[in-house]
Amino acid sequence: MLSYLLKRLAQLVVVAFIISVLVFLLVHLLPGDPTVSILGGNVTAANRQILLHELGLNTPLYHQYWIWLIHALHGNLGQSYLTHETVGHVIATGFPIDVELIIISQVVAFAVAIPVALITSRRPNRPLDNIATTGTFGLLALPPFLIAPILVAIFAVGLHWFPATGYVPFSQNPASNLHDMILPGLALTAGSIAVYYRLLRSDLIMTLQEDFITMARSKGLSNRRIMMRQAFRPSTFSLLAVAGVNIGALLAGTFIVEYLFAMDGLGYSIVQAVQQRDYLLVQGIALVVAIAYVVLQFIIDFLFTVVDPRVTRE
Amino acid sequence: MFLSRGAATGGIILVGAGASAGLAGCSSGSSGSSTSTGANKGGKAGVSTGTPKRGGKAVIGTTADIDGFFPPTNHWDNNGFLYANTIYDPLTAVAADGSIKPYLAETITPNSTYTTWTLKLRSGITFHDGSALTAAVVKANFDALKASALTGIALKQVTSVTITDPLTVVYNFADPFVSLPASLATQVGYVVGQAMLDAVSKSPTTPPHPVGTGPFIYDTWQPNDHFTATRNPHYWRSGYPYLDSITYRPIPDTTQREATLKTGGVDLILSADPVTVNHFTGQSPYQVVDSLSDITGEPDVAFILLNCASPPTNDLRVRQALAKATDQAQVIKLFGGGLSQPSNGLFPKGSKYYSNTGYPTFDPTGAKTLVSAYKQQHGTPTIELVTVPDSRDIKVTQVLQQMWEAVGFTISVKTIEQAELISNIVTGNFQAYTLEQYAVPDPDINYVWWSTTTVAPPGQISLNFSRNSDPQIETALLSGRRSPDPATRIKAYQTVNERLAQDLPYIWLGQTVWSAVGDARIQNFANPILPDGSPGQPFDNGIFFPTQIWMAG
Repeated sequence: MLSYLLKRLAQLVVVAFIISVLVFLLVHLLPGDPTVSILGGNVTAANRQILLHELGLNTPLYHQYWIWLIHALHGNLGQSYLTHETVGHVIATGFPIDVELIIISQVVAFAVAIPVALITSRRPNRPLDNIATTGTFGLLALPPFLIAPILVAIFAVGLHWFPATGYVPFSQNPASNLHDMILPGLALTAGSIAVYYRLLRSDLIMTLQEDFITMARSKGLSNRRIMMRQAFRPSTFSLLAVAGVNIGALLAGTFIVEYLFAMDGLGYSIVQAVQQRDYLLVQGIALVVAIAYVVLQFIIDFLFTVVDPRVTRE
Repeated sequence: MFLSRGAATGGIILVGAGASAGLAGCSSGSSGSSTSTGANKGGKAGVSTGTPKRGGKAVIGTTADIDGFFPPTNHWDNNGFLYANTIYDPLTAVAADGSIKPYLAETITPNSTYTTWTLKLRSGITFHDGSALTAAVVKANFDALKASALTGIALKQVTSVTITDPLTVVYNFADPFVSLPASLATQVGYVVGQAMLDAVSKSPTTPPHPVGTGPFIYDTWQPNDHFTATRNPHYWRSGYPYLDSITYRPIPDTTQREATLKTGGVDLILSADPVTVNHFTGQSPYQVVDSLSDITGEPDVAFILLNCASPPTNDLRVRQALAKATDQAQVIKLFGGGLSQPSNGLFPKGSKYYSNTGYPTFDPTGAKTLVSAYKQQHGTPTIELVTVPDSRDIKVTQVLQQMWEAVGFTISVKTIEQAELISNIVTGNFQAYTLEQYAVPDPDINYVWWSTTTVAPPGQISLNFSRNSDPQIETALLSGRRSPDPATRIKAYQTVNERLAQDLPYIWLGQTVWSAVGDARIQNFANPILPDGSPGQPFDNGIFFPTQIWMAG
């Protein structure tokens, strides 16, 4: 167990390092630099040089990266060149928003996909299954930037059930927080529902054809018990794997929803930072997202062992 | 998004002028009308004649957030000026008639040659931390602004600032400088407390706690989420403000911002998208104010910036052909909500600086002739038209592409981010870019963008982005800068405008339309009263004073 944990920890460190180098290089390859964002059209040659020196951007790239790395290892990810807000504060503010969006969207996605798959997989290609399949293809075709305005038009502007924009931290007011997060969460859900339903349905159909299911039926077990106790668990492998990738993609990948609902999540922050060439912010957020992704995969791997004890860590 | 101020501080703020690489613009500057053209039938939107009610909170939905509250180093767009008007006061302000009136200043008077301006402060004004507003603090502000890479250029003409008594500051110039009062109505005129200056001096990378003299006191700022300020109980303008607090919420998407107003999430929204005017005009209970009646100073205008130093746009025939091939009215109809009128230059009809500039009218046949003439010598003119990744701007460039290709050009359309776009503009690495700029209370504030002294060849940084070096423009600019005679100044800027119409470094696309839409509760947001009792500029391209706002109901 200890060796396994150490191995995963080493993997985390390697991934984080590689990501930090890649992001550093990529963002510095972009045309322009923060001086333009800071000075705008007032950028004269002299002003630019002064500012580059003040920001430490007139030294070789390897030196800039080294300085950043040393500070990062001491827990200091720097601050925004423009607002001087610390990267740590940006992450502390934005990460909970993204996590909450992910939790809401995935809980709803699983809550819809799993029951529907359990029902329709018993009678594939029947009317209910066809309706569900068509419906999920439709959901897959609807991107968040299309779903969000529709949800707002209906449930916010039309029915006044939810706010159109805004975010209240959970710690400040849990009820308002959940109320505000429903529409943004739902905007992210559609694609996940479709993918999870399709995967689970396919795996369940295959599992239901296995000998042990036939055995269970011959024992007189009810369909419900067979589905929930026998078939469901071994059919969730693909679902878990894809969910892990999907959730990982949602980490800082919720820019569109954050932009539309005026939420200061990591997705919006990193896109703005790239546009403004706010290098430290980009590097810091990318690093945190990479670490979160590796931790997430660790959790998924652990869940595999829970779902199927035959899967060992080796 | 329209680069402009709203989205990213791509501009030259200094004087409230902001260059936006998009077509939505925002710069603080001149303008301001308290009624939108045709927007309100009867009554005046944003102007309340009722008895102000004290208390309550207003929530304003803005187009974007700012990068900070420190005038010397933070790049204020329209939202920045809105925040500034909340917690700070300027030394001067623009009146409804376009004149410049003292605000924190009691008087500001020039000597006979306009090489010295004496500014006397009002007495008894204190900052939010209790410290007094003195000439020493104003000078300290000036020193910080002058030393800044961002704002120093705006104060380049000031040779020195001296203090003659605790409330009197003297600005000295080597040459006559008529527009100092107008400059002090912009970013360089907002005064922050000494404690804030000291904090920045001690730790330049730590955001300082804003300290001003304004109607509200800084409370909280969560970037990209909200900025809240609370009532200043010791505000020097007796009776003001009425609100207990005011909160600004940046909501980048226009549709979502409008939806937030409709759902009661905010009391008032700002918009640089003309469709907002059309969406809310005539819709009860909304009050719509827009910037179209702006005839003071210079308004924000959208245009295509052409590089006069690189082929093929360095050929006047090409620029003339582009101007003649552009159906401005059609562009305004398609993307401007059909609200504004085609521009023939920097100033709209009704402005004292307006004249018949001779700017080319829509003439595709004439354009084809010019393109043919160019083709015979140099082959088909090929131009790359570039904008930012904003859906409206992209559509405009696509329409322009069609118009220009119809007369014989080969046009490619490209989108790049604002940071890269501005970098290319200042270094001359472009042919045709979308831009939005020039809103200022006095045209002299735009001197650097048109002067021959700020031209540099491609590859070097040039504040005269178009690299249009016209000695007649320079002469006219200096005349406007140095002469106090109103008629001379008007003639000077008319000359600038007419020369621009001849040189054609810009293809005009119409005046930017800013709007403020309030619900039934928010009152008096477009009716500021200046300290001398005269009406202030009601609505300046997305900027207003929150001082006189009150909430009904």
